[in-house]
Amino acid sequence: MTRLIVGPFNRVEGDLEVKLDIKDDQVEAAWVSSSLYRGFEQILEGKTPGDALVFAPRICGICSISQSVAASSALRNAMGLEQAPNGLLATNLLSATENLADHLTHFYLFFMPDFARDTYGDQPWGEAAQKRFKAMQGEASSYFLPARKNLLQLIGILAGKWPHTLAIQPGGTTKTLDQGDRVRVISVLSEIRRFLEEKVFGDKLEAILELSSFGELFSWADNQPMEQGDFRFFLKIAQSLALEEVGKTSCDAMSYGTYDGLFPQGVWRGEVGKLDPQLIAEDLTHSMMIGDTRHPSQGETFPDLDKADAYTLCKAPRLDGKVVEVGAYARQLIAGQPLIINLAHKSGSNVLSRVVGRLIEAARLVTIMEEWVDGFKIKEPFCSHGKMPDEVEAVGMTEAARGSLGHWLHVREGRIENYQIVSPTTWNFSPRDSSGISGPLESALVGVPVIADEKNPVVVQHIVRSFDPCMVCTVH
Amino acid sequence: MAEQELDTGGFDFSEVEKRLGVTRRTFLKYCAGVAASLGLSTSSAVAMAKAIAAKPQMRPPVIWLHGQECTGPTESLLRSEQPSLEHLLLDMISLDYHQTLDTGAGHKVEELKKKSMKENHGKYLLVVEGAIPVKDDGVYCKIAGETMLHITKEAAEGAAAIVAFGSCASWGGVQSASPNPTGAKGTQAVLPGKPVVNIPGCPPNPANFLGTVLYFVTFGKLPPLDQQNRPKWAYGRLIHENCYRRPHFDAGRFATEFGDEGHKLGYCLYKLGCKGPETYNNCPSLEFNNVGGGVWPIGVGHPCFGCSEEGIGFNKPMFALANVETHTPPNSFPTIEDRQQDTGISPTAAALGGAAAGAAIGASLMAAKKVGNTPESDSGSDG
Repeated sequence: MTRLIVGPFNRVEGDLEVKLDIKDDQVEAAWVSSSLYRGFEQILEGKTPGDALVFAPRICGICSISQSVAASSALRNAMGLEQAPNGLLATNLLSATENLADHLTHFYLFFMPDFARDTYGDQPWGEAAQKRFKAMQGEASSYFLPARKNLLQLIGILAGKWPHTLAIQPGGTTKTLDQGDRVRVISVLSEIRRFLEEKVFGDKLEAILELSSFGELFSWADNQPMEQGDFRFFLKIAQSLALEEVGKTSCDAMSYGTYDGLFPQGVWRGEVGKLDPQLIAEDLTHSMMIGDTRHPSQGETFPDLDKADAYTLCKAPRLDGKVVEVGAYARQLIAGQPLIINLAHKSGSNVLSRVVGRLIEAARLVTIMEEWVDGFKIKEPFCSHGKMPDEVEAVGMTEAARGSLGHWLHVREGRIENYQIVSPTTWNFSPRDSSGISGPLESALVGVPVIADEKNPVVVQHIVRSFDPCMVCTVH
Repeated sequence: MAEQELDTGGFDFSEVEKRLGVTRRTFLKYCAGVAASLGLSTSSAVAMAKAIAAKPQMRPPVIWLHGQECTGPTESLLRSEQPSLEHLLLDMISLDYHQTLDTGAGHKVEELKKKSMKENHGKYLLVVEGAIPVKDDGVYCKIAGETMLHITKEAAEGAAAIVAFGSCASWGGVQSASPNPTGAKGTQAVLPGKPVVNIPGCPPNPANFLGTVLYFVTFGKLPPLDQQNRPKWAYGRLIHENCYRRPHFDAGRFATEFGDEGHKLGYCLYKLGCKGPETYNNCPSLEFNNVGGGVWPIGVGHPCFGCSEEGIGFNKPMFALANVETHTPPNSFPTIEDRQQDTGISPTAAALGGAAAGAAIGASLMAAKKVGNTPESDSGSDG
């Protein structure tokens, strides 16, 4: 048996290392390790509750809006407040835009460049992939980066800057849109639709959203040359490398739900069931954290880097003691998206279904966002107001691009007594728990074929990146 | 800016037009704009344009390190405007190592970093993004098994210049807030005796970083800095002095709740805890996300919380009142006649402030006068 250390990973947010035990040219066991700690939970203790809006988004420069949404909803629930309808729309638009930007950034800058490696030079698509997706040099970055700017301009109009805004408040947003702003939002959205239709899909979004099975998806891919849209390009590569067999997990999938229930809350166990958030607990057996297994509302975060048998700073969140996977695939599954449900029944969660989940969600989001913009009543308020009780417990749950994000808040004597954050990648990249069961990534890596002298197995890269890890969120 | 083209003495820009995919005119206009925001003359703009055009021999290699951070500065850089700043940046410098953007992966990239540092000893520009934890020997941030503390010290050894990009790298930022669980520090604090240029902000404005790099590439030295080692052209003025809501402050008109009458009318956010009166940055003039039309924090109706200012951001509660450093009550406004005769402002100081001239109110000029008098002016710094 040999041990291989893969990492640090470039083109991911933050620091990540993966240890692999290799026997008979395949991975026998995997350990995922996260090595950055900043102490947000400790810092938030004793601050005024409103300051969660200043600190929480800074956990992450790429899911910053999602962190703001979770913090503001924890504060809102603590105050027993309703969002002003306009504020809800603006907040939804902001989250959707960030989700969209994250999904596309993942696809273009983080995931696809691995197919431009020399390893694939002999593939019939190898040269074309290099031309298109080589990191920072390929053609795709020259048309994707301007499109990304459009998305971030949209965030700018609604939130002032990105990352890290204070425009998202418990009662809505500080920005009140006028007619001019609305026109600006509409025009940016139409640019975004055009980019998706011309470059990403090479087809109408509505046509993409009508695909409802694995068979339909691939016959759609076959009816044009592979250069016709980057999604098609990816599907052809996926087909030639059989990516639906790579990086499989067999655990349940979870979504906290978002957009006021449009993407609902639930758990997928072959069909959609109800989620009971009280059953969430963080297991610290193999995490370099002191304490026992607790629900996040009672949770603690104190690192001990010398702890025996611990190999990562990441905690191991479990739902009713079980491993669950989160992300766009899980979210769309629970939201009843026909194609994703079909993929789940056919081959479960794998590299292909995770990537398709993201891009289908992207197409869906744009059509939904267009409807939201029509919903603003610009003469009505964007923000409602309430009072923070001196003593209260509350939770803010939302879906970030990478999956379920929860903030658990306890206020005492007007100050934050405890603030615990459980992020998407914490679920996906969690270490073994007290029963020795691995988190989703660790189990997805087991059985992967690795040639003994391959220092940096590309298939491991595909699997790790298929989860779109955000390590700075994982440990905060 | 006047629609007049720079006199470049017949210099051939055709190659740079091809490289950046912009016309000569757009390119020169851009350089003139950067020079103006740096408080430099048109001849400096021409020098910059030529420096960019004259690559590759001018391209300094860059090593870009990530410590305790959220990648916010890199993210903000990736959203820059036309002519694509990220293209310009990648064109101006040779980015030898950047964790988020590199093609390769793993220890191979770490080896390349070390190789580049050795080959370019004494010549490379070191950019640090993120704070450096020092508690327990720096174990809270490790990359490829080494602590950020060690990596930073090692990379600083052979650096020609060091730029701390963002509040975290400048003074510790968000994770250095009380009780600072990991002992997070800024770059300067772990490199005593080494000059570090600070570009604070959370996130920082990419133009402040690029302007500094452009200056370095053009003149081979760093731009003039203030006492906290921030480029004066970017951090020379309080946000409060350049804020479009300032007249409301002077007139005593305040918003007290998001969405109230005063808030809708664009009144001053001081009573909502705005830290503009104690934060030095050029956000009001540069704005954010390159949309225009008032896109920056105060522009979308929430208070500045002082993200770039050490001791303010992450230190004072969001809704706590700011300490007003340059308080100019309306009864002390100078008369118009006084203003004509006795402003005491040098043209350089006025250029430094720039936008203040737009607010035709004596108070702004009084404020400008104070700034003009306290730090020394920057004349002759563009050499």
